[in-house]
Amino acid sequence: MSGVVLDKIVKRYGAAQVVHGIDLQIEPQEFVVLVGPSGCGKSTTLRMIAGLEEISDGNLTIADRHVNNVAPKDRDVAMVFQNYALYPHLNVAENIAFGLRIRKVKKPEIAKSVSEVAEILGLTDYLDRRPADLSGGQRQRVAMGRAIVRHPEVFLFDEPLSNLDAKLRTQMRAEIKRLHKRLGVTSIYVTHDQVEAMTLADRIVVMRDGRIEQIGRPMDLFNNPVNTFVAGFIGSPPMNQLTAVVEGGDDAPFATLGETKVKLPKLPQLQGQAGRKVVVGIRPEHALITPVDGASAIPLDLDLVETLGSEALLHTHVGDTPFVIKTETHGDIDHLYDVDKVYINAEKIKVFDAETGDVFAHPTQG
Amino acid sequence: MQKKLAWFLQHMRREWQIYVLLAPTIIWFILFLYKPMYGLQIAFKDYSIFRGIAGSPWVGFEHFQTLFESDTFVRALKNTVIISALSMMFGFPMPIILALMFNEILNQTYKKTAQTLVYLPHFISTVIIAGIVVTAFSPSAGIVNTIIGWFGIEPIYFLTKPEWFRPIFIGSGIWQEAGFSSIVFLAAIAGVNPSLYESAVVDGASRWQMMWKITLPSIMPTIIIMLIIRIGNILEIGFELVILLYQPATYQTADVINTFIYRQGLQGGQYDVAAAAGLFNAVVAFVLVMTANTISRRVSRTSLW
Repeated sequence: MSGVVLDKIVKRYGAAQVVHGIDLQIEPQEFVVLVGPSGCGKSTTLRMIAGLEEISDGNLTIADRHVNNVAPKDRDVAMVFQNYALYPHLNVAENIAFGLRIRKVKKPEIAKSVSEVAEILGLTDYLDRRPADLSGGQRQRVAMGRAIVRHPEVFLFDEPLSNLDAKLRTQMRAEIKRLHKRLGVTSIYVTHDQVEAMTLADRIVVMRDGRIEQIGRPMDLFNNPVNTFVAGFIGSPPMNQLTAVVEGGDDAPFATLGETKVKLPKLPQLQGQAGRKVVVGIRPEHALITPVDGASAIPLDLDLVETLGSEALLHTHVGDTPFVIKTETHGDIDHLYDVDKVYINAEKIKVFDAETGDVFAHPTQG
Repeated sequence: MQKKLAWFLQHMRREWQIYVLLAPTIIWFILFLYKPMYGLQIAFKDYSIFRGIAGSPWVGFEHFQTLFESDTFVRALKNTVIISALSMMFGFPMPIILALMFNEILNQTYKKTAQTLVYLPHFISTVIIAGIVVTAFSPSAGIVNTIIGWFGIEPIYFLTKPEWFRPIFIGSGIWQEAGFSSIVFLAAIAGVNPSLYESAVVDGASRWQMMWKITLPSIMPTIIIMLIIRIGNILEIGFELVILLYQPATYQTADVINTFIYRQGLQGGQYDVAAAAGLFNAVVAFVLVMTANTISRRVSRTSLW
């Protein structure tokens, strides 16, 4: 089967190292999303897997085959590009058939494959059109068709949806997910959009500055980020992060947020740490506007209410730090303007080291 | 119509800066291309410099009749068409081939050196080019005759032999201009989306296949535009080089419409006949460029306008 293994993969451009020894094992049929801000090395990593960039150091294995020095065409991968990379002078059918024609596949076989792929992607009626006559979504589908038709071992997606409008993006995201379920081909997907990562991935790889920050299933990353960077990147809106100092005894640690004492979880790492500077992380979803037993209540001033329909975002601030609350509207937002307190359950709070940004994990967490 | 005019005036008031920028070009066109058209009427007059353009009597198409009854003009017309057709056949593809070749050179130093070398002749004056050609083909000390002498061939008086004029003229034209003309195509190649190549690499295309299946089709609109322009100039042969290279012995294959006009008008003082020949030239060029543009628009969706 066609797994992909990255073993201490390094990329250097002259003296500048941009990818610093990445280790990643992708299982056969898995859908892995590389996510991170611009310049984090995710696209470079994908291009090294495709063979479009040379690997400076380390080993790359695809389907148990060492492929560092194997030409892109012999790696048995297919790639979908951000700007579709469709040939403007060829029609849809010819675009899809391009890879097969290059490989000298027989014409009847090409015709059969093209019509199968067109059927899967709903492109049958557009086969004679040129890319210029297609909508963005249709073009993206053609680009995917060109990848699918070759039956590769691995699909590589380089921000394939970033040129589409929000509605189409949601639609195409679902199509990619369905397609992956149907074809079961190992897929590596690069995006800077954490929503895409969360919705598509079996596992997410969060990258920063050429290094992997965390690898895990979407909900693992959401619930248990290893550091402030992942906490800030995964989740929409991102986790609220407030700098504070640990106070109180080991039995009842707390931190002063604004002017309110907020109970912290009883973590072994906080034992005897009174006076230590930490970052208190609270997900907007875990900040409640109705009282809960045992929760700390922080008074706040409402800056702004953003209505999303079934949900709303309450923009507030605690001290000088902006603080966002995500809450359900139940069809009415008037009552949200009366909110003057937010309730935080200590068990939902994440505590990070203010210096390193690393989480003080609960012993039961990995 | 009035609505359009009102809109135009309103637009002009609002965007006057743009119209100011446009003005020098329009003035240049009027002064140097439209105003001289007034003089075209001498093609239909028995023109005398003493009576002036307005004072010379009309003679209708007499000068055109004279031209087409003249063997020299018909020969010049035939030569013009043949030299143009051959130039287009051999000279037009050359810059495209050069551009494609430059695009395949990976070593940047080598690429830049090669490009500079082929651009250089463009910047040399035509007189010098002609001098180089005359020297190179000289029967006594020319490099060409020296080389063929190594194979035991007697020296050939290339520039006095009518059968050699066209190859030498077209060859030197290609040598002088092919490199510089390749810049347009190189620019077109630079505009091709790099991910088309990357996608083709992943699909397994070789460099040769990429050149044929991506680069060439991608720059086809540019090629077509350049071809239309070239067709429009089909009767405009660089006559300075012809004048510098031809001699009465080679008139048979070398005399073209522009050299004919030069001899008739400037040397012979027959301005009216020369103007008729020039006007004929321009009308043919106009018809050709219109036709080429229309055909191109219908066939390839690419056109000048």
